[in-house]
Amino acid sequence: MTTIEAPRGAPDDTDLKRNGVIDSDVHPNFINGIRDLTPYMSETWKSRLGVSGEDWAKGMAAAQFTLPLDYLYINPAGAYREDAARPGMPPATDPDFTATHLLDPHGVYRAVLLAGQCLGIGAMPDGMIAATIASAYNEWMCERWLQNDQRWRGALVVAPQDPEAAVAEIDRMAKRDGIVAVFMPLGQILMGEKHYWPIYEACNRHELPLITHPSGTENVFAKAPQMAGTPTFYLEWHTALGQIHQSNTLSMICHGVFEKFPKLRHVIAEGGFMWALEVMWKLDRDWKGLRNEVPWLTRPPSEYLLEHTRFTTQPFIEPHDPRHLAPLMEMLHAEQTLMYSSDYPHWDFDNPDQALRGLSPQLRRAIQVDTPRAVYGDRLD
Amino acid sequence: MTALTDTTADTAAGTLADTTQLADETAARAPREKTRHVVDRAENLPLGSRRIVQVGKLSIGVLNIDDRYHALLNKCPHHGAPLCEGVVRGTMADTAPHEYSYGRHNEFITCPWHGYEFALESGRPLLDIGLRVPVFTVAVEDGDVVLYV
Repeated sequence: MTTIEAPRGAPDDTDLKRNGVIDSDVHPNFINGIRDLTPYMSETWKSRLGVSGEDWAKGMAAAQFTLPLDYLYINPAGAYREDAARPGMPPATDPDFTATHLLDPHGVYRAVLLAGQCLGIGAMPDGMIAATIASAYNEWMCERWLQNDQRWRGALVVAPQDPEAAVAEIDRMAKRDGIVAVFMPLGQILMGEKHYWPIYEACNRHELPLITHPSGTENVFAKAPQMAGTPTFYLEWHTALGQIHQSNTLSMICHGVFEKFPKLRHVIAEGGFMWALEVMWKLDRDWKGLRNEVPWLTRPPSEYLLEHTRFTTQPFIEPHDPRHLAPLMEMLHAEQTLMYSSDYPHWDFDNPDQALRGLSPQLRRAIQVDTPRAVYGDRLD
Repeated sequence: MTALTDTTADTAAGTLADTTQLADETAARAPREKTRHVVDRAENLPLGSRRIVQVGKLSIGVLNIDDRYHALLNKCPHHGAPLCEGVVRGTMADTAPHEYSYGRHNEFITCPWHGYEFALESGRPLLDIGLRVPVFTVAVEDGDVVLYV
């Protein structure tokens, strides 16, 4: 276990609260896959999921549901930080170790837990199964993580296939200690469509930001978000995941989601962000001639993005010429659109002291403290 | 009175660069006395018709919409398209998401290139682009359609 020497002049709580880093993308993991959730499921649902039987069944086809992830793309760098693993303890499975490994050394005030291996449940054909897994995950996250250390915060997971169940889950969980957002795994239907509006209504009503993230299932499963063609390599697939987030952002703006639900905030975690420049500029230009198609947009479309959409920073951009970073940040209105994230314990982790070092102290402060505070509000404290 | 050329049949894009420059020069010299130009007899510009005319170096569209005449510079302030060749129509009202309500029929001319909408009456764009289309006074006098430029 890593021991952290107490820094001299360690900030008191007030100082940490005022200045501590907020990390918007940390993935808690299961040790034994979907079976970690069985204590939070009824016998009926354990039976339906096939997880009530013998352990050998988990590797057998048609014997047990498994969590949909990127099984067709293997990351040769290992997908996880090797230094986050200990014998018998896969990365981010132990809240205590994770706190000493991630939170203590970097002065993290709050870290938002995102879905772990439930990122991809939007690809399941049966929305009832996804909703059951989501509810069990939420209970697991509250009990194992949120109650363990006050620095953890959680995004409650819902099933995008079943908006009615999702709304019930949001209403059930919204007031739980430590819940700061709703996490919606991606599905095949683009996010502006009316299918999702009940979920947005619930987020709007509870003033909970909605977080999305690559699902890991893109083009791996039929009901997963579909990309333009199926990439061959992990490098290719991983880089192209931003396609989905561009399409979802456009869909939400054009369908008038932010006119309908004015308090809704959409946080795109690990979905990239520089693409937003062309999306904003092109939308505004074309809207002037095509407004009749979307007359419910009362402002230039870019204004909805700037007001309602936020992006987490990891993996942060590294322009070939570092001098290009500052103007790019200015074009993106980074002081209001970006929120720091580490993506711990994944292989492409961004250290808060290193990843943003090319930015001014003022901009780093906005990204690591002020903007996430504005998005999550009082639920952080 | 200046001689009018009917250029409806051949509003070639190639002539537009010149009119740009001259439109700007005209504006720079304003205010100045307006000149009167007879476009045609009113019966030759019936309901729904339009005529593109050349006044000096300016290309101007004269349109009879719902029995009212309108005259606008035939040049979109966005990218210089021949605006007065565009469709005249109404527009969608501001509505709640997923609801449509068409109205203000025939109050707008739509640029044939990028679809920007301009009010026939004022030349103002429906959505602010920081520019407007110059409009001209047009009237029927003794059965003549008369344009003041």
